[in-house]
Amino acid sequence: MTTTALDATQPEAALATPSLARRTLTVFARNKLALTGALVLLGLLAFCFLGPLIHPTDQIHTDLTQASLAPGGAHPLGTTDLGYDLLGRLMYGGQTSLEVGLAAGLLATLFGTVYGAVAGYFGGWVDAAMMRVTDAALAIPALFLLVVVAAIVTPSKPVLILIIASVAWLSPARLIRGEALALRSRDYIHAMRLMGGGGGRAVFRHIVPNAIGTVIVNATFQIADAILYVAYLSFLGLSIPPPAADWGSMLSAGITYTQVGYWWLIFPPGIAIVLVVAAFNFIGDGLRDAFDVRLTKN
Amino acid sequence: MGLRSTRIRGPLGRILAAVLLGATALTGCGPTANVVTDVGATGGTPVRGGTATMALPPAASPNWIFPIGAPGYLATYNKAIQNLLFLPLYTAEKKGDALTMDSPRNLAEQPRYSDGNKTVTITLKKGYTWSDGVPVTTRDVKFWFDLIKGNKKEWAGYSPSLMPDDVTAFETVDDRTFRLRLDRAYNPAWFTGNQLDSFLALPVHAWNPRNEDPKTAFARLTQHAKQFSQFATDPLWKTVNGPWTIEKWNTSGQVSLVPNKNYRGPDKPHLDRVVFKPFTTADSEFNVLRAGGVDYGYIPPSVMAQSAKFKEMGYRIDPWDGWAITYIVLNFNHPTAGPLLRQSYLRQALQYLIDQKSISKVIWHGSAAPTLGPVPAGLLDGEPYPYDPEQAKRLLAAHGWADRDGTLRCVRPGTGAAECGTGVKDGQELRLSLLSQSGSTETSNTMQAIKSEFGKAGITLDIRQQPLNTVLGTTVPCKKDEPICGEWQLGFFGTQGSWYFPTDPSGEKLFATNAPSNMGNWSDPRTDRLIRDTEYSDAPAAMRDYGREVARQLPVLWTPNPAYQVSAIRNDLRGIDQNVTLTLAPQDWYFVTKDGAGK
Repeated sequence: MTTTALDATQPEAALATPSLARRTLTVFARNKLALTGALVLLGLLAFCFLGPLIHPTDQIHTDLTQASLAPGGAHPLGTTDLGYDLLGRLMYGGQTSLEVGLAAGLLATLFGTVYGAVAGYFGGWVDAAMMRVTDAALAIPALFLLVVVAAIVTPSKPVLILIIASVAWLSPARLIRGEALALRSRDYIHAMRLMGGGGGRAVFRHIVPNAIGTVIVNATFQIADAILYVAYLSFLGLSIPPPAADWGSMLSAGITYTQVGYWWLIFPPGIAIVLVVAAFNFIGDGLRDAFDVRLTKN
Repeated sequence: MGLRSTRIRGPLGRILAAVLLGATALTGCGPTANVVTDVGATGGTPVRGGTATMALPPAASPNWIFPIGAPGYLATYNKAIQNLLFLPLYTAEKKGDALTMDSPRNLAEQPRYSDGNKTVTITLKKGYTWSDGVPVTTRDVKFWFDLIKGNKKEWAGYSPSLMPDDVTAFETVDDRTFRLRLDRAYNPAWFTGNQLDSFLALPVHAWNPRNEDPKTAFARLTQHAKQFSQFATDPLWKTVNGPWTIEKWNTSGQVSLVPNKNYRGPDKPHLDRVVFKPFTTADSEFNVLRAGGVDYGYIPPSVMAQSAKFKEMGYRIDPWDGWAITYIVLNFNHPTAGPLLRQSYLRQALQYLIDQKSISKVIWHGSAAPTLGPVPAGLLDGEPYPYDPEQAKRLLAAHGWADRDGTLRCVRPGTGAAECGTGVKDGQELRLSLLSQSGSTETSNTMQAIKSEFGKAGITLDIRQQPLNTVLGTTVPCKKDEPICGEWQLGFFGTQGSWYFPTDPSGEKLFATNAPSNMGNWSDPRTDRLIRDTEYSDAPAAMRDYGREVARQLPVLWTPNPAYQVSAIRNDLRGIDQNVTLTLAPQDWYFVTKDGAGK
């Protein structure tokens, strides 16, 4: 009985109707940049995860007899200074960049959303204490923290995900806290409280679902940020130890050979990083517009 | 909704900038390279003064000023800087193809051997004083001798039965002369080159004014030596007898020296200041060099082919070859890896898997050469274990190792000829970890190539990279029950060579039992005997026998020996002698200008 009554108070139940979802998709599809971003992202995912099936290479063992070959023949993008096929390494490295970026971005969004929603909903000293923690953490440059932590522990995929997420959750936390502050005074929240609903229910059944548009759009930017941070850390030499690779470490290794003209070591990973980050940003922009339209219509 | 992250612009901008920078550099559309000087590599008029900045090796920062070396602080740059402040009695200098000990920089006259080479008489050169004007006397040398004799276990240069154990008496003849009574007759060339080279004069009047006993004085001085941030301000280190004195010593490792105005030696500095600048990586040094930020730096081996560009910028390129060998240290006292590494067949298999020739040619771009053994290659027959992965696999299979899911495991434990060997357990995985120095692309690539070859043979090698000081501080001689012994299995600190020979390339400090630089704790009675032979006899056969035996025994894994560095030196900075023993003499450096105007 209670459940049914509460559900009736939820505006998101209405928002989730098929017509509105379709309208959101239609608005997103009309945004050419967003659509291009989505296609590029799909292309890159296919390249990294399905590409090795078409172009299988050994990315574990070095082959010094094939070191630093220019593009052509058996190696369409050339080889690295240790003889790895660069096209294959781009796929292999892309898997790490995308996996770590996606996981860190989503983890940061998840934690930041819950943290911000709790702070915003409960308000008072809880909000003050939680937000001062956020402010203090934001005052420390993220890159400094990342470099310090990555220098202390040996980076691995899970470790990278955790250390990137540990600095990236601050932004969604502040954002969702703002949303929660606005949502907590809505009638349906008051109604839920009168009917005996607790804080947990308010946060997870009402605040977070009603801020889902903000959460989703922010998640795309968080993922783009996380991919860049993976590249950034790797560029500074704090990547997962070889033979693992990611686009940032490939770019870093290639820069060493700038003076001798090995362009194929620099452009492919550099372009891949720019493409994936731009794709996520375009998708985020498209989603933001789509959610804006949906809410306006509503 | 204002969702856009503001932080995105920073990293994105930097990555984009890196891509664009690479693009412009590759297409040759970048800005004109900085020309640091219009003076050629020869000619010009010498001028007095100026500041010369020299780049330190990557990921290396000077961290020990006390001229009595402590374990873990033995980096060459520490010693090189100490020698500019505190003159050694004898220092090696290259003359032609040989190393001699009669440098004009020596604080003492040539030693005189007598009593059937059982007594050495040494006279200090006239006129030397400390920077506070007090004369340098035999009391100062005696102070050094008492410190190392009373604290030999704490001295990184101590080898049992050698200095100071081999001196039975230190007799002061007068203010400038002293006599050493030795415990037996030694080969004079060896004794001068490998024992007297550690002799120093330390300012007893300033460092031990209260006549404390050697143990108390040593503890107090070591305590001061650990105050890294106070090296430039601590009055102790202001009293020097070398040509330079400390101006600044940052905690980041940047050291700035200025001339010691009371220096009485023949080689008074021409420059106003010399600065040693640390870098975290070779790439960062390279970027600063290209921007003209150092006067005396180095270029990565990978860009040697492009040295013409640097010549256009006003640098001369001069490879600095050291008299050295390079190797991976094996920790025989590690609780789990020790029993594996003590198996000679296993060490041979590991050595067969290191393709030194290809690594030298491809990764080091020809700036390294294979290390064949513990002495210069001319004293050896050849490479006892040349690259042969099939032979490595055969050796391992013949001793009870079998492939299980791509990893070798011991399937025949035991001590028999065809079994894994003492201490190796049934089913034990052949897995090793390597602590390697960071900061060099070539070193990282070398370790990757070795890991790859080991992997093909079924041996797992985990690599951990740390700055050089961390590696040197960890890979120290240790006993089985000491915690630090469990922290590393294999170690590498040879980006610029692992071991620089003393004048006589014998191994008393390197491979003798309990030797100070025997980081892996190698102990073999036959090796010890052969090393002793080189100390007592000047017969060339003694050195050859020692070299061949150790090359065969493999107390370490030999790896390509790189040049110390490929130096890039400003054309207008002259007087630089890149000594094979890596000593520095910035007091000889000077600038030149086209018209003789002051620098």
